[in-house]
Amino acid sequence: MNAGEMDRKTRERLIDLAVAWDGSLTRRQFLYAGGLSVVGLSALGPWLAAEAAPPVLVLPQAKGLVLADPTKCVGCRRCELACTEFNDGKAAPTMARIKVARNLNFGPRGAALGRDGQGTWGNGLVIQEVCRQCADAACASACPVQAIGAKAPANARVVDKEKCIGCRTCVSACPFRMMAFDDEGGRATKCTLCDGKPKCVEACPAASLRYVAWRELSRSSLPRSHRVERRDA
Amino acid sequence: MAAYGGWAGKVLRVDLSTGRTRTEGTIERYRDVMGGTGLGYRVLWDEVPAGTRPYDAANKVIFGVGPLAGTGAPCNGRTSITTLWPTCWPTPLVGTGHMGGQFAAELKYAGYDALVIEGKADRPVWLSIVDERVEIQDARELWGQGIRRTTVEISQLLGADSAVAAIGQAGENLVPLSVVMTGYSHSAGGVGSVLGAKNLKAVGVRGTGRLRIAGSKEDWERLVKLHLSLLGANNQHVVPDSPQPWAEYYDPGSRWKAAPGRQWGAASVPIDTGSCDPKDLNRIAYRTNNAVHYLGSIAWKYTVRGNGCSGCPIRCHTMIRVPAAAAKYGIPEMGQNTCGGLNFGRSFFKDFPDGPRGQIAVEACMVGMHLADDFGLWCNYSQLQRDFKKLYYDGTMRQKVGADEFKRYAWDKYEKGDPSFLFDLLPRLARREGELGTAMGLGTGQLLERWGLSEAEWKKDHELQYWKLGHPKHHSNEDAGQCGVILNTQYNRDAQCHSHANFTRNGLPLAVQKRIAAEVWGSPDAVDAVQAFTPMNAAKARMTKWSLLRKELHDSMSLCNWMGPWVASPLKERGYRGDDSIESLLYSLVTGDTKSREELDLVAERIFLLHRALTIRDMGSKEMRARHDTIPDWVFEDRTGKPAFSKGTIRMDRKDIDTAMDLFYGEMAWDTATGAPTRAAYARAGLSDVAQTLGEKGLLP
Repeated sequence: MNAGEMDRKTRERLIDLAVAWDGSLTRRQFLYAGGLSVVGLSALGPWLAAEAAPPVLVLPQAKGLVLADPTKCVGCRRCELACTEFNDGKAAPTMARIKVARNLNFGPRGAALGRDGQGTWGNGLVIQEVCRQCADAACASACPVQAIGAKAPANARVVDKEKCIGCRTCVSACPFRMMAFDDEGGRATKCTLCDGKPKCVEACPAASLRYVAWRELSRSSLPRSHRVERRDA
Repeated sequence: MAAYGGWAGKVLRVDLSTGRTRTEGTIERYRDVMGGTGLGYRVLWDEVPAGTRPYDAANKVIFGVGPLAGTGAPCNGRTSITTLWPTCWPTPLVGTGHMGGQFAAELKYAGYDALVIEGKADRPVWLSIVDERVEIQDARELWGQGIRRTTVEISQLLGADSAVAAIGQAGENLVPLSVVMTGYSHSAGGVGSVLGAKNLKAVGVRGTGRLRIAGSKEDWERLVKLHLSLLGANNQHVVPDSPQPWAEYYDPGSRWKAAPGRQWGAASVPIDTGSCDPKDLNRIAYRTNNAVHYLGSIAWKYTVRGNGCSGCPIRCHTMIRVPAAAAKYGIPEMGQNTCGGLNFGRSFFKDFPDGPRGQIAVEACMVGMHLADDFGLWCNYSQLQRDFKKLYYDGTMRQKVGADEFKRYAWDKYEKGDPSFLFDLLPRLARREGELGTAMGLGTGQLLERWGLSEAEWKKDHELQYWKLGHPKHHSNEDAGQCGVILNTQYNRDAQCHSHANFTRNGLPLAVQKRIAAEVWGSPDAVDAVQAFTPMNAAKARMTKWSLLRKELHDSMSLCNWMGPWVASPLKERGYRGDDSIESLLYSLVTGDTKSREELDLVAERIFLLHRALTIRDMGSKEMRARHDTIPDWVFEDRTGKPAFSKGTIRMDRKDIDTAMDLFYGEMAWDTATGAPTRAAYARAGLSDVAQTLGEKGLLP
């Protein structure tokens, strides 16, 4: 079996699984062997999952991250537009790697709370969600083809478009729902920190975003509920 | 089509009579009118025959945006809504309303440059648009609900990040003074009842698509940053309202309110707005505070933050939190608005117990916004408030409304400046309840007719600011002398043109304005000091034409004419110049269809000629100068008797205004006797077909 055949088979099976599991895939459902990811344990038999150790994927620590201050966000979405226009040449907020729109009107808990939530309809607070550039990056660990790695100079966790097979496993794996997907290219995409000069930070008219030295935020952040928002998936 | 960026590429048509939906190509059919209002006028011209009434099924409503909507071009968030205007009196004519918020961008991401609503549903419906999936949904459960309830329920169905435009009870009940509203408080006045007549409660849109920028991403980034650097505060006021360390000039009338010590006091953690050096593009959002502009400095402590449209850094739609008003009146703590909505605290009550800029004014504004924005009432650019005040205090209201009904209102509350009076009044307007509730919701023209009052009296009264056709002035002689007057003659509702006022009121000293005016309009004499006007001249006519065309261009390409054009800037190193070609640069780079400033102005001229042609056709008269482009008497009077062109008055001179109209018609290459465009003027703009139709009806000069 050559690499191309392996990729095709892997891709087909993983896409099937991603659909079947409806977003519940995590990195624990994968093993790494010989540099190639193989199919998740759940597909082989749930009894194996309990025995499986999480894969270890060591990435160099990111040098920075975007720190968002929701108390200053004015909800203009210029950060989302700068992200995709200045990096990708298109206005495509659904593939922005900073996410504001999903919290803009009602906050992270959605419209169910009516005026009692956050956002424009609630208390005015708009939470800008950003990639934590996790030390133990779930997106990278979950990727069946190791397409997500650290990229100098900022060591942001970056999707290698050439390797990505478009299976969306990383999209499901990120507990903060920060992966994006480029429908045109059929590839996942994520915050690259714009090589240390984030476009979103430059674009914010309210100075609500800062590019700061990396710090551990993933452990102090609550995962984003999959129930609330599926648009970015 | 794929060759062009910017445009989404499709126009969505929904026929509510048949339930049929279809799309057509934007580029193929509408590129020569850009989008927005241009597209709206074209649809009305082609498809809605003369004599159609606003509430007829044959009338159409066009939600239109342009190639810049949804992109990162600053200030692109307004949706133009074009239809036959229900408060245009005595003959309904074409008009356009505009709403901000996220709707324009969302429509584009869903894949559409415009939505054309046709026909009339046989039961209440709402329209669901999720990308290519378009469905007409039953709205019987929503009918009778306010805008807020309607929006929340649709957002629960479509997703929290959808954009919903809805009408309230006022629109359902065919109250002419009604709005369609999106994003909590962004409204397009005048349109609500037209949608109500079609049984269309709301449009919900959710888009997941993308818009291509035709130029290189590097060029686009440079251009966007250039445009950002030219921005002032709201209304393109380019100097602050108080001395700042960086500022050579300041003007107390400016909407640029930021200063050290002035805080968004009700933010979750208060934020000092700071000095906001214009070169710091990361502080543009702190410059403007329209709650403070309208309600006074008391509003600082209530300010949560600036809000506004998609992609706009200006944040003119100030969000305030007033817990005291919530506790006292049982309304939400939060309120938001840019201008008109704040006027319940400014121009409706004669006075308040604590004076004109105190706490009660803020509370009145909160109560008024809460009720009007949920019931979906329109203030007709605050003409509703002015008419109400006059009719009550001159005794007309008591006389026209039956004694029993009149007694039902707590007039002592109105006279004392008690905001709870609004609970008596506004719901009755939305329900057309009683004579007062019905008459006041009609709009000025129909109100005058119903009560047998003389429009001539309204045209004499300086306080009323009434202009014509049922509508008030909007940035007229008080801001730009003859230029403002002419612009106010051209439309069928309040003019909504800001091109001129955004320059004359930008806060720069007259000498600087004159230097820039000489470069843009060929002579420093294009502008005067406000309230020290000079006689008409050719440069003023050029500035007037430019103002008109830029407004139409902005409304069609999706730039905000409440901000542009950008011929001045806050940048001293540029000599306070802006860039008069910024529209052309943005358009060309986004679409890939390179057009010079002059070529775009021709597109804008084409667009306005369609408006003019529609007006002439539907009035059935080419005598525009005599019958349409009229000027109220108050323009030619001064309350203290000061003569025209003296310092301290905005009074105009009748003979000079005649000259002004001559020069303007000449500048437009229209017939000066009738004020109607000539066949050649239509032909030059590529509208020979329009000229042909008008010629057959005897409507060419």
